[in-house]
Amino acid sequence: MPVRMGIFLCDCGGSLKNIDFPKVRENLENLEDIAFVDITHNLCLEEGEKAITSRILTENINRVVIAACSPEFRERNFGELLEKLRLNPGLLSLANIREQCSWAHEGDVTRKALELIMMAVGKARLLQPVERKEVAVNNEVLVVGGGFCGMKSSLELSQLGIRTTLVEREPTLGGKLKKLEGFYSSQIEAMIKAIEKAENIEILTSAEVTGVEGKIGDFKVRMRGTKEILRSFGAIVFATGYKTEVAAGDFPLKPGVNIISQERLVQLLQAPTLEARPETIGFIFDLSDENPRFPTLATLNNALAVKQRWGSEVYVFCKNVKVDSEGVEKLYREAREDGVMFLKFDKNPKISADDGRVKIDAEDTLLGEEIVLTCDLVVAEEKLLPAEGTEGLSSLLKIRTDSQGFYQEENVHLYPVSSERKGIFFVGNCRGDLDLGRVLADISSVVAKVYELLPPGKVIVEAERVKADPQKCVACLTCIRVCPHRAVQLVQVDSEKVVAEISQLACDKCGICAAICPAKAIKFEGYSDDQILAQIEAIGVS
Amino acid sequence: MNGEIIAFCCEHSAYAAADVVGKQGLHYPEKLRVIRVPCAGRVDIIHMLKALEEGAAAVLVLGCEDGLCQHLTGNVRAKERVKYSETLLTEVGIDGGRVGMFNLAANAPHKFIKIINEVNDRIKERERENDSR
Repeated sequence: MPVRMGIFLCDCGGSLKNIDFPKVRENLENLEDIAFVDITHNLCLEEGEKAITSRILTENINRVVIAACSPEFRERNFGELLEKLRLNPGLLSLANIREQCSWAHEGDVTRKALELIMMAVGKARLLQPVERKEVAVNNEVLVVGGGFCGMKSSLELSQLGIRTTLVEREPTLGGKLKKLEGFYSSQIEAMIKAIEKAENIEILTSAEVTGVEGKIGDFKVRMRGTKEILRSFGAIVFATGYKTEVAAGDFPLKPGVNIISQERLVQLLQAPTLEARPETIGFIFDLSDENPRFPTLATLNNALAVKQRWGSEVYVFCKNVKVDSEGVEKLYREAREDGVMFLKFDKNPKISADDGRVKIDAEDTLLGEEIVLTCDLVVAEEKLLPAEGTEGLSSLLKIRTDSQGFYQEENVHLYPVSSERKGIFFVGNCRGDLDLGRVLADISSVVAKVYELLPPGKVIVEAERVKADPQKCVACLTCIRVCPHRAVQLVQVDSEKVVAEISQLACDKCGICAAICPAKAIKFEGYSDDQILAQIEAIGVS
Repeated sequence: MNGEIIAFCCEHSAYAAADVVGKQGLHYPEKLRVIRVPCAGRVDIIHMLKALEEGAAAVLVLGCEDGLCQHLTGNVRAKERVKYSETLLTEVGIDGGRVGMFNLAANAPHKFIKIINEVNDRIKERERENDSR
């Protein structure tokens, strides 16, 4: 079918004064494959939509060029409008004549605007429709880790009607918070009951993930428990949590009777009787890490608990108390009001044994004086580290970890719970040092993300936006090696030939494979080689 | 084409930065032509060489900052390709400095302007040298 193009020029309500629109139209109208050139005023408003609709319905066009603001603003809306008018959104080409032309230059820029439009026209001539189709996906979700995070995620997913399997390597659910007495453990017990009652949650305890293959919508997961299990899931949520450790390098003395970890202190606090009440207790944290959110919370909580329960003298040695979590400022004030002393050091304090007690020698930066304190008990800083097995799982999944070994988010700010592989998510402390408020936010966002990617029923994808031509593909595996999202797989076409196939669900449309393919077998519709070259050729012609 | 600067801009960073230039009413040389790409890693050597063949004064690939590529390795691959194009050009006796790769973030309109201005200044300098010869 010959190209018949409709061009809409938008003068942004008459504000793009340095472009002579009638002159642009005059130049464009002479081209042979152009059906009409319309000057409109506000394509982003209802009147613009009407203008586009009435024109497209009366003219039989098969390409649309819109010269207006940056595609960032309206590209999607224009695409949706075209779809409503039974025109494939893949046939739309945009020219950015506002931000990158009219607004970026002083004086008359009619010529440049015309050139930008000619570039869009050149690209539009080569555009092909991108069909959308429904694909069946597996909507079941696997949640790895049966601690607070994993359980809460499973419960919320199941409430949306998503079938969830919860796998935990320990024999029981509950994780770390179950061990704490009081509020947390009662909450955890209630959650375990709710999970056991929920109809669409399956629990696998004493089981571990040993292999993951496939892609979003169809992950083949191998698990080892009492027996080997091979199951298929649409998405996987990792909530593998953390472990805490007294960093050996930070502390000159090994933990023992007088120097204990936070975990041991909690045990002592929970014990019904106490052998000897420590008179003086020193807490030390902030020795090497710049932003220890978790150690800060643990120290403040425990220092206050010691003060309230045992009435000991409590000293906290720290560099800075960073109170960037909800409620921590309040906790800090409460601790101070109850008599916990905070001492600020710059150089790490010297710790030595002193006749069965522990001597802390620190220079207080506020007093400017040396402070020597002999404590009955010193509670060491505990670091938050990735849980056992995080490294193994990340290499199994081919997913990066950060410098501390936690799973690396795709983008810390924009996509905090996503990984570079679509359909694999991280929640909670397996991705870093988070407090409870942040963990809850993680859980909500992962539930929303899963629901967005795998809604009930079928998923609509752009079929063949990026496609490997089986005729040209020589199965050199280059694309499989370079794809950052693991979206390319080899498939058998007949008894002799295997070719690369790109999963449209897993693909994130970056085009790295299209650029690198030595056989030029991969075509990225909208950014194909000929479409990019057509834009280059259009420059300076008009 | 007549001495334009062609910039392949990643839509996650440089293209957005170019938009911000306009939004803030700042300016860059009019001879810049931006071609939007989904990732700097999409730009192939043929695209750069074709642009030079058509008469561009300089070809730039503008991608995300190191380590911040939306697609992990796109900007690194782009840099490798730009380097390779440079050697190809030098081998055939064309100034390899006419292709270049720069990294910037979407919120860096001033860096965008600085890059384009510097490239433009270099082009002018080269023209002067050629004229005086």
